[in-house]
Amino acid sequence: MPHLPSSSSPLVTIKVDGKDVQVPGDTNLLEALQAVGIETPHICYHPYLPVSGNCRQCLVEVEGPRGMGLVISCYTPVKAGMVVATPASSQRVKSTRKAVSEFMLVNHPLDCPICDKAGECTLQKNYMEAGQNESRLRGEVGKHYHGNPDNEFVDSKGQTRGGKRVDLGPRVLLDEERCVQCDRCVRFMRHVAGDEQLQLAARSDHTYITTFPGEKLDHEYDLCVTDICPTGALTGKYFRFQQRVWMLSRTPSVSMDDSLGANIWIDHNEGHVWRLMPRCNPEVNRSWLSNTSRLAFEKFAENRLPASDIESVKLALQTQGKVALVAGGECTLEDIVALKMLKASLGDRAEIFVGSFRPVVAADGIAKSGDPVANRAGFKLLGLAADNLADLVKRASEFNTLMTINNDLWGDDANQAKALEGIENRITLAAFNTETAHKANVVFGVNHWSEVTGTMVNCNGILQKLSAAPTAPDAELIPTFQALSIFAGTPITEALEAFKVASKEVPVLLGLSYETIRSTGAKLDGVQA
Amino acid sequence: MNEYQGHLHFVANNTLTLDKGPSAVVETLPNPADQLGHKHPPVAQPSWKEIAPKLESPEVKLRIADMLSRYPQAQGALLEVLWIAQEALGWVPREAIRWAAGVCGCSPAHAFGVATFYTMYKHAPTGRFLLQFCRNISCHVMGAPDVIGYTEKTLNIKTGGTTPDGLFTLVQVECLGACGNGPVMLVNDEFATDVENGKLTLKPGVGLTPERIDKILKWCYAREAEFKVEPSRDALGGVVNGHKGHSGAPGASAKSQVADYAPPCPILGVKAVASEAGVTLTWKGAPEFTQIAVERLEGSSWKSIGAPGLKDKEFIDATGKAGSEYRMIATSGARVAKPSAVAKAIEKAG
Amino acid sequence: MAETVKVCTGNFGKGAQDIAVYRKLGGYANISSRLFDLSQFETIDIVQRSGLRGRGGAGFPTGMKWSFVPRGTGKPVYIVVNADEGEGGTFKDHRLMLEDPHRLIEGLIIAAWALGARSAYIYVRGEFLPSIETLNKALNEAYAEHLLGENIGGTAFSFDIFVHRGAGAYICGEETALINSLEGQKGQPRLKPPFPAVNGAWQLPTCVNNVETLMALPWIFEHSPEAYAAMGTPRSNGTKVFCVSGNVKKPGVYEAPLGIPLMEMLTSSEYAGGIEGTLKGVVPGGSSTPVLLPSECEKAILDYESLAALKTMLGSGAIIAFNEKCDVVQLLGVLGNFYTHESCGQCTPCREGTGFANRVMHALLRGEGHDGDLELLLSIADQYNGTTICPLAPALGMPITAFISKYRSEFEAYIAKNPNHASPRVNATIRPGAFW
Repeated sequence: MPHLPSSSSPLVTIKVDGKDVQVPGDTNLLEALQAVGIETPHICYHPYLPVSGNCRQCLVEVEGPRGMGLVISCYTPVKAGMVVATPASSQRVKSTRKAVSEFMLVNHPLDCPICDKAGECTLQKNYMEAGQNESRLRGEVGKHYHGNPDNEFVDSKGQTRGGKRVDLGPRVLLDEERCVQCDRCVRFMRHVAGDEQLQLAARSDHTYITTFPGEKLDHEYDLCVTDICPTGALTGKYFRFQQRVWMLSRTPSVSMDDSLGANIWIDHNEGHVWRLMPRCNPEVNRSWLSNTSRLAFEKFAENRLPASDIESVKLALQTQGKVALVAGGECTLEDIVALKMLKASLGDRAEIFVGSFRPVVAADGIAKSGDPVANRAGFKLLGLAADNLADLVKRASEFNTLMTINNDLWGDDANQAKALEGIENRITLAAFNTETAHKANVVFGVNHWSEVTGTMVNCNGILQKLSAAPTAPDAELIPTFQALSIFAGTPITEALEAFKVASKEVPVLLGLSYETIRSTGAKLDGVQA
Repeated sequence: MNEYQGHLHFVANNTLTLDKGPSAVVETLPNPADQLGHKHPPVAQPSWKEIAPKLESPEVKLRIADMLSRYPQAQGALLEVLWIAQEALGWVPREAIRWAAGVCGCSPAHAFGVATFYTMYKHAPTGRFLLQFCRNISCHVMGAPDVIGYTEKTLNIKTGGTTPDGLFTLVQVECLGACGNGPVMLVNDEFATDVENGKLTLKPGVGLTPERIDKILKWCYAREAEFKVEPSRDALGGVVNGHKGHSGAPGASAKSQVADYAPPCPILGVKAVASEAGVTLTWKGAPEFTQIAVERLEGSSWKSIGAPGLKDKEFIDATGKAGSEYRMIATSGARVAKPSAVAKAIEKAG
Repeated sequence: MAETVKVCTGNFGKGAQDIAVYRKLGGYANISSRLFDLSQFETIDIVQRSGLRGRGGAGFPTGMKWSFVPRGTGKPVYIVVNADEGEGGTFKDHRLMLEDPHRLIEGLIIAAWALGARSAYIYVRGEFLPSIETLNKALNEAYAEHLLGENIGGTAFSFDIFVHRGAGAYICGEETALINSLEGQKGQPRLKPPFPAVNGAWQLPTCVNNVETLMALPWIFEHSPEAYAAMGTPRSNGTKVFCVSGNVKKPGVYEAPLGIPLMEMLTSSEYAGGIEGTLKGVVPGGSSTPVLLPSECEKAILDYESLAALKTMLGSGAIIAFNEKCDVVQLLGVLGNFYTHESCGQCTPCREGTGFANRVMHALLRGEGHDGDLELLLSIADQYNGTTICPLAPALGMPITAFISKYRSEFEAYIAKNPNHASPRVNATIRPGAFW
């Protein structure tokens, strides 16, 4: 894996295009140039994959013993005092990049208007930056499309074509012609996923991507290959031809189904979520996202609870006896603040329980920690016990009222939840009409986590920010913290207000605001799940 | 059609919006290759059960154990294991590739990539005699196109084709490394430009001609009459006995190399040049030296006069003069080398 | 004139495949105290003093290559013999292994002594099954006489040789591709640095040498490095095995001191014995080296420096002569097919670029050439330079440039066969960015 620059990288001075610049000294030239704002077009290089150096698009000139020579910037380590020329000063670099761009496209179909990757295609982008040559390919010369001989066919114009929409697996389709053999997907499956299911077969301009014949690409992270594919070769079945990417708006958020809190983009248009994409965060999920987290969006708008009557919840909370407030992992810090306000308003007869009936499994080392309670560290931070659900099960008979907040107890494990069925007065606060909602006598629909602004603390103690995507199916829905604060009798309408309350309580949050939390989050000193 | 699902939400000012959420996962559409016709119809692949008896025979197991013992990692034997499969089956079906991957501890996809990268693995059965004609530069100059054309006409097949009787498959390949015999061909694994005493030969300077092609084809027919099935030929050129494998490999008993098998290195290239400053010694240093000593001949005995550093390039004996004799002794770890050749200080030229 | 010294080919035709014959001819005399009394450094020093240069094509000094291999680190060191001979016109290693396998084994033992290698792999291309059989037979004999195995000659030194059969890929002649292939991967060249001497097979120090290079060692150790250096020219020492093929009277493998004139090699009765027909051109060092016109052949001297001065290369010493009957446009088409077919498909300029140039050439051969095609070909050839991982694409670029510049009129005649050769190009405006 390439060594990436960080805030602790030593700075060295190199000469780029005749000017001295300070760059991180412990990385490759491509990253170093990027750090000073010089973009280098590249296709096969990916910061979280081993360097393969096969696309040759990122060539720069570096001074060596025999004068200026072409090297690939992704594989050249930065050395103090090195002299580098980019296209800004070197005609040779400019023309070679143009040449590589030409080679890259010579056997690539030029059907961008009907390609699903158009608009976010690396080839297109590089072509606009580095290419721009007139085609020198005459009709008589012809193209040689890449593809598996078993899928080759002759189209209506008599041209031999590579395989189209080859079914690679349950979630991924392959267009063999559009592949540029960067082998990013091969390296991902081999070095990140650890299961070499993909390989480039054959050689020369017959090379094509394939699984072992007859086997399917099937892995918890297989959709990542569609993200890293620089062209329209690998596409996810769920997103193919659903939307043109330039129609989508992106909202940065955090996936709340796991305590790692994988950073995501919520891509939405016209009030619908169309896909979730990994949002690069070197400390958290790098560029990866599991299929479970990624495909969760398909259910975001389904089976939702409608906004309902606040008074009925308030009434239900007035019932005599002790109240168990059971919060789930999807609660943001703001929700927890409001939850504590509710508890305070109910006095001694209320008790907060946190946890999930879903088991904690081992971390996969890619983009999942295995803990289903996403904000467990947040509960701890605000002084709550983070895992006392078992306690509630034991003492269920003490309580008369059970209020679940974003916690699907019955859906997660109906057997364990059975013990709670003795509690007769059941209130459910949730986004979805879950099993728990079915068991409740009062339900209250709230916004899903993808529709709220807020913060969470992940299992490594990184405070991360969720942003609200305008995709709520019902405009009447309110966020959890707002609902809880209304029940408590002290309504909070803005998430920031709740966050300020939290920062007064907890010293490590002091001085932080939504503006000062960076997109990659803020590491909180001494906080661990 | 998915595109027109959903209800019309808003029509005004000539803009039209469709309110439609993500549709269900698109089922895989029929492949265009199926609709428009494959160029290469896939080859029928035997199942594992059909090929297993040939790949799990004791002889094959023995060969594979030998191969695996040669490489520090089992994957090193992948090419050889594929060769063994091809020898046993005549070609490498998919299940044989999967088997080879299992033997060599790599993923089936990797083995498939390797098996398709190299051109000598056959992914479909061929005729009994695979005629590989070189078409590269030297053979081309010497008339390969004519020879290939003649063979195509004689056998009435095109390049890549197999005769209906299943005897001959004709292919053109790149340089066979026998350019002095251009044009040249391989009959299965044997180079052939002529037939002598019932054997295919490759005699220096003898290239293929139409007449010799006829002789070779005749040889093939005769062989078919003689042997019902082509006698198998070890794809790895026979077994080598006596080696104990690569140290650390499965089944290998070889020990690693002893560090100090060779005598310690004396200092080489000692030169002594006298000038006003004394005698300057230069020598060639080896990386394994841990200590160097300089000795000078005094009377009949050698006296140590200093120990230069390992990185030093020269040593100056301030009291030396032209005619003094020097030698140097190196130590490598615990071993002391024999003294270097004696260098007599000479007057600096000019 | 004294008889030419045969360093590598001395045992040709004498039945030296048999160890008894080889020993009778003076073989394995080095595997004695002559070698066992030498330290590793002295052994390398002898090779350095001999001036022996790598005979695979690049001509890198062998002793220097060996000195880069770290010694005494406790890590295993590998020697890999490059017998993946596939460059068009080269067939010396094929003959050398068939005629004198024991000399290769002897050379390998010397190299292993110098480098401390425990195992060596002879990577023989898959097509050379007869050579592999010869080698394996010779190895069996050597093991039986305890020239290989553990504690050779009563010393603590142990050494094994394994033959690895390739499976058909020209690119495996590139040393890092060869190492990848040895490891059971696709034969695709690696990014450099690190170089194999430090980080080669299985990430361990590895020395890759050509067959002929190693086969010169027994002679050097038997005589002296100075005697070897005395042959040839001041900068290209020793003898070289040349492979002469094409339109000559006696094609074959001939050993001669470096510095012999090209025309002597082609016409002397001792060597190729003269040209069939009228000489039209000579490719002096394997298919990828630029061609020489007859006028240049008169001046050409066969050593590394003189040929570089003529802007061509000695390469593997494969001399391909062709006469007036040869169509050079077709010849270039043959080379185009070859390099396109043998590209490993790893890096873009080679994977797509060799096929692109080849398709342009074949359009031209079909009579569909166009004005500007030659400029296009020259430009494509130029675009290979400096953009690829290994020199395979430039190895096609060099003959394209040389053939077109030296035989331009023949290429133009092909273009003229297309009645519409001057019509405007049709596809000029299609480009992907044009849609938005």
